[in-house]
Amino acid sequence: MSTPQNVKREEEEVDEVNSVASVAINDKLVNRNVARTIDLTSQLVKITTSITLENTGKDTVRTFHIVQEPNAVGTLSYISVKDSLKDDLKLERLTDENENKVFYNVNLKQPIGPGRTTTVTLEEVLTQSLLPYPSSITQKEKQLVRYFGNHYFYTPYVTTKQKTEVTLNSRSVESYSKLKPVSQSDSTIAYGPYSNIQPFTEDQMIIHFESNAPFLTVTRLERLIEISHWGNIAVEENIEIRHTGAKLKGPFSRYDYQRDSSSTHHSIKSYRTILPASAHSIYYRDSNGNISTSTVRPRKDYIELELRPRFPLFGGWRSSYTLGYSVPSYQYLFKQPNGEYVLIMRLIDHVFDDMYVEELETSIVLPVGVKNVKIETPYEVERLPDGVTYKYLDTIGRTIITLRKQNLVEQHIQDVEITYNWSTNLLFHEPLLLSIGLFVLFIIVIIYVRLDFSLNKSEHTKRD
Amino acid sequence: MSAAGKKNPVQIKNANAEKQETLLTISILALAAILSFATRLFSVLRFESVIHEFDPYFNYRTTKYLAEHGFYAFHNWFDDRAWYPLGRIIGGTIYPGLMVTSAALYHLCWLLNITIDIRNVCVFLAPLFSSFTTIITYLLTKEVKNAGAGLVAAAFVSIVPGYISRSVAGSYDNEGIAIFCMLFTYYTWIKAVKTGTILWGTLTALAYFYMDSKSTVLAKRTPGPSLAYTLGVARRHKQLLAGNQTQQTCAVQELQPSSHEENSPKSERAPASPPNQLRSLRPKLRYTLGIARRKSQLLTSHYNEQTCLQPDQEPTPNQQVHVGVSSWGGYVFLINLIPLHVLTLMITGRFSHRVYIAYSTLYCIGTILSMQISFVGFQPIQSSEHMLALGVFGLCQIVAFVDYLRSKVSKRDFEILYSFLLYTVGILTIVVGSILTISGKIAPWTGRFYSLLDPSYAKNHIPIIASVSEHQPTSWSSFYFDLQILVFLFPAGLYFCFKQLTDENIFLILYGVTSIYFAGVMVRLMLVLAPIMCILSGITVSHLLSKFMKNTESQRPMDHKKYRKMESNVAFKQEISTSFVAIITLLLISYTFHCTWVTSEAYSSPSIVLSARSHDGGRIIFDDFREAYSWLKMNTPEDARIMSWWDYGYQITAMANRTVLVDNNTWNNTHISRVGQAMASSEEKAYEIMRELDVDYVLVIFGGLTGYSSDDINKFLWMVRIAYENSILFYEEGGSTDRGAHIKEWDYYSSNGEFRIDKEGSQTLLNCLMYKMCYHNFAQVYTEGGKPAGYDRVRGAEIGNKNFQLDVLEEAYTTEHWLVRIYKVKDLPNVRGGF
Repeated sequence: MSTPQNVKREEEEVDEVNSVASVAINDKLVNRNVARTIDLTSQLVKITTSITLENTGKDTVRTFHIVQEPNAVGTLSYISVKDSLKDDLKLERLTDENENKVFYNVNLKQPIGPGRTTTVTLEEVLTQSLLPYPSSITQKEKQLVRYFGNHYFYTPYVTTKQKTEVTLNSRSVESYSKLKPVSQSDSTIAYGPYSNIQPFTEDQMIIHFESNAPFLTVTRLERLIEISHWGNIAVEENIEIRHTGAKLKGPFSRYDYQRDSSSTHHSIKSYRTILPASAHSIYYRDSNGNISTSTVRPRKDYIELELRPRFPLFGGWRSSYTLGYSVPSYQYLFKQPNGEYVLIMRLIDHVFDDMYVEELETSIVLPVGVKNVKIETPYEVERLPDGVTYKYLDTIGRTIITLRKQNLVEQHIQDVEITYNWSTNLLFHEPLLLSIGLFVLFIIVIIYVRLDFSLNKSEHTKRD
Repeated sequence: MSAAGKKNPVQIKNANAEKQETLLTISILALAAILSFATRLFSVLRFESVIHEFDPYFNYRTTKYLAEHGFYAFHNWFDDRAWYPLGRIIGGTIYPGLMVTSAALYHLCWLLNITIDIRNVCVFLAPLFSSFTTIITYLLTKEVKNAGAGLVAAAFVSIVPGYISRSVAGSYDNEGIAIFCMLFTYYTWIKAVKTGTILWGTLTALAYFYMDSKSTVLAKRTPGPSLAYTLGVARRHKQLLAGNQTQQTCAVQELQPSSHEENSPKSERAPASPPNQLRSLRPKLRYTLGIARRKSQLLTSHYNEQTCLQPDQEPTPNQQVHVGVSSWGGYVFLINLIPLHVLTLMITGRFSHRVYIAYSTLYCIGTILSMQISFVGFQPIQSSEHMLALGVFGLCQIVAFVDYLRSKVSKRDFEILYSFLLYTVGILTIVVGSILTISGKIAPWTGRFYSLLDPSYAKNHIPIIASVSEHQPTSWSSFYFDLQILVFLFPAGLYFCFKQLTDENIFLILYGVTSIYFAGVMVRLMLVLAPIMCILSGITVSHLLSKFMKNTESQRPMDHKKYRKMESNVAFKQEISTSFVAIITLLLISYTFHCTWVTSEAYSSPSIVLSARSHDGGRIIFDDFREAYSWLKMNTPEDARIMSWWDYGYQITAMANRTVLVDNNTWNNTHISRVGQAMASSEEKAYEIMRELDVDYVLVIFGGLTGYSSDDINKFLWMVRIAYENSILFYEEGGSTDRGAHIKEWDYYSSNGEFRIDKEGSQTLLNCLMYKMCYHNFAQVYTEGGKPAGYDRVRGAEIGNKNFQLDVLEEAYTTEHWLVRIYKVKDLPNVRGGF
């Protein structure tokens, strides 16, 4: 149990990384029409690409390839492909050693017959792709960022027609690369249509614009889930955050800060965290104690928590806090007919909208005396060696399962499933221990009160 | 609680009496112990489980270190977070009793798999020990009087405000625990005197050692060799300032309380016409009077303690004076009470073999044990505070020897021998004593010690001591505030003790009389007085009630003689008894209410989090201190050096984990004075000092926006004074530089000799670094309706210097309510052109 295991994976997601000498590209496939939307309104880059694929060959096509842009290799956090029925398609990651490119092999559920077309939707989320420029600003200045992209959809196939629409956070655009035809209206820049683009064509797109979206990075998130079979699951998140926008240059003036009431400031005063609707006993503190500046607002099917760090965050400033709550276990812990228990909990939960988590470490503390632990994760994670911990009055340790993953975004909020065997008798272990302890205590008191321990009896009675 | 306690003695008169009595005793005691724990939790419930004040943060930090790294690492710990660039050897300069206790509890809990946080151990330690105090009070009173009195005393002590003031949850300091140790020592001592066994004597010694190991406070105040304020300096200072001094001291004194009082009327006025957005951010504050009172008391006390550093120590090289002994004040008194008891027993002719055995065992073992603590060293036989103990020990031997001789030789021979011995020993003592005193082996009598014995001594000789608020004579109102009905029951208790003199009663009488004297001298010693007040009042109440309760019940055909006698004198015996019992019950109930009220209103504010009421009655939390410390922790380099006035040193190291220049362990006055100089200098001068001290950030506390009066401007005169005095001292001792010579206290007063921050104020003040840091950007801020911008709510004046920019500093952070302002020291400007 204590050795790292290979984690089982589910379907429809990124799988093994296969390294192959060269990826065989089906040159009979053509991108008939590509419509891209690049969403730059938050700190993340969200690219949604709708691709109409045409099979110009004679054979039925069951798979096709998607290739990652070379400059997006490290920053791609999430990728998914859906077909026209909105079903997720299975992705297989391939690395082409010759050309040093990362491919994804997509298995279509409905094969494309000769001469037929199909439409798939590719969704990508990139992190760390909006770079503040200038990289440090004073308190009063606006925050400007630059986006480096590609005017063309990066693909191994010939593209017949392509359009790109870039949505920005504000109207004020410093500059943008002008590959005609291009037009800007309000906070949208439209590129294209471009036609007949050769495979792997690159042309740098640069957009320099004002963005006051919160550039907030969770540098480390430690999530601790503790299961009690008495009916409670305690969740505690230790969160370290950093403002990753343009760094604050020069002094911070509280006077100016208080006078400036505009909501679009690059500093971050507060943000919202969503908790499950059944969460209770919520606490929000840091190493120096309770942080008294938060509000809990119960909504219809979730709890909204407005968190204010102790101080407003400016570029480069860090903060850390602990957020904890409890949820009733009946919503997450189920007993299978075969006697196994299944815990279905989120591997990572919402911290703030459009969040970016650099590193996640989720620890799950299982009850005392569990056996046959099996884990199913929604995507590939690293499993660290299991640990053992002792909680209140535990004489037998509890197993801790620790999972780690880097570079996560909102799309990663998915359930992890843990199955284990556990005997109900262990529930009475601690109450029994406590009862025995108290029993012994009372017995001692009774004995002490009833018996006279003095050796010199006569003197004792005399004094009384 | 107390109502339950008093019924006990009479109630049980049947066959099963003894068992019932045991049950009743145990349950009453258990309830009293639980109550004493529970009543101290106000601050935890109202705020959170957090460490209070200043010193507790240091204790907490060291405890954490001890719990994490073990005793040996702790013992060898060199702390580089404080006193930059000197550092501090923690292990050798503190008494580890408190930390070891907490760490032991912590490890015990973990051994039993109770996963408690070390912070919670620290927070709840004082209430826990209060529970123990309750039990030990019962035992002590029972030993001296009877179980009934013990129960009443236990009930009293569980909620007495005088003790609660130092032992609420979160005030993790020695004082709360020392009371338990003190009473425990006394209990074992009484036991030892009663039984005359070595066992109890040894136990007393162990308890004494434990108590000794707690008196950490003294560690904080060891002066560095050259830094002690000599009496001479104080005198010189006085001369220099001529008559001005007294007046100035008073001015500062008045500044703090008055500004507090101003708060309430201010908020009453509260016109709500915000001309500026800022106004809406700032609710009107009204500290409840009690909290404000308490807070000012604490802050001034912390503050002032320091300023009256050792008044008259000769800077001997081997100076290890029990300085802090006096800083916890009570300590001197504690270690001398037992010898005093022995001495009194000797004089009254009650000296016996039991006392001899008890005291000899205690003294030998206790002294050897306490010398094991590295910081105590040879103090027990060198310092004046311990002289009485040593002297009485010697006397014991002589008396015992004389007694032995008397039983062996004839009367005539004995007389010759006796006079010979008397003269020899007398002369020897005087000669040796004076040689040691002159050679500096025995520490001279400290000024604080005199002031303890003679309230007027300090005022007459050392003006600074006189100005210390916590060392002021206690007012009657504060006696009543802290003790309520105990004040009236106490003399009656003394009377009952006198009526039935025994060895133990004499101890109680001595304890009571001396402690009430000392508590009258210093507010602080109220803490020592509270337990004996409870014990003696317990005796009174128990005695009276057991007398009168008998008569409330219907007549019983027994004790004919007695009854007939009384019956002949008193009519309506039963009615009178009943009404008397009713009155006592009412008094006890009012005591309970009073204690709870005092605890809740005055003694349960953590001072790290402030709270105020807005006009609509809502509660506003001011969490600025932690906001600032968190900011420092997260957003400054790991090795950044923070300069602040010493009050905040412990908090900064504990909460922000950054290096400070000075902290609440005020052992190096020149360093403190250097910081004071920087604060009091003009920007250019200050920059030199700050460069020299390697300062990265400067932190000041500013209350002008919220009306928080214990801020740095109100403490500023003390900074000036310390800076000034040390520069004189430095110069006198042949210091090579004129460092700090530019600081002269009278430069900071206006032409009428007032300390003002408005236009009338002195230019030196209006341009010094502290002023600029506090009021930077403040000129445009509207703080109060109907007042001009830049109106300081603490000083009640519009600031005088409005148009200035900081050249050598830049604002790094200011907290939400401007309570804490942090500045970054700019680097040297790049030289243009080059040489």
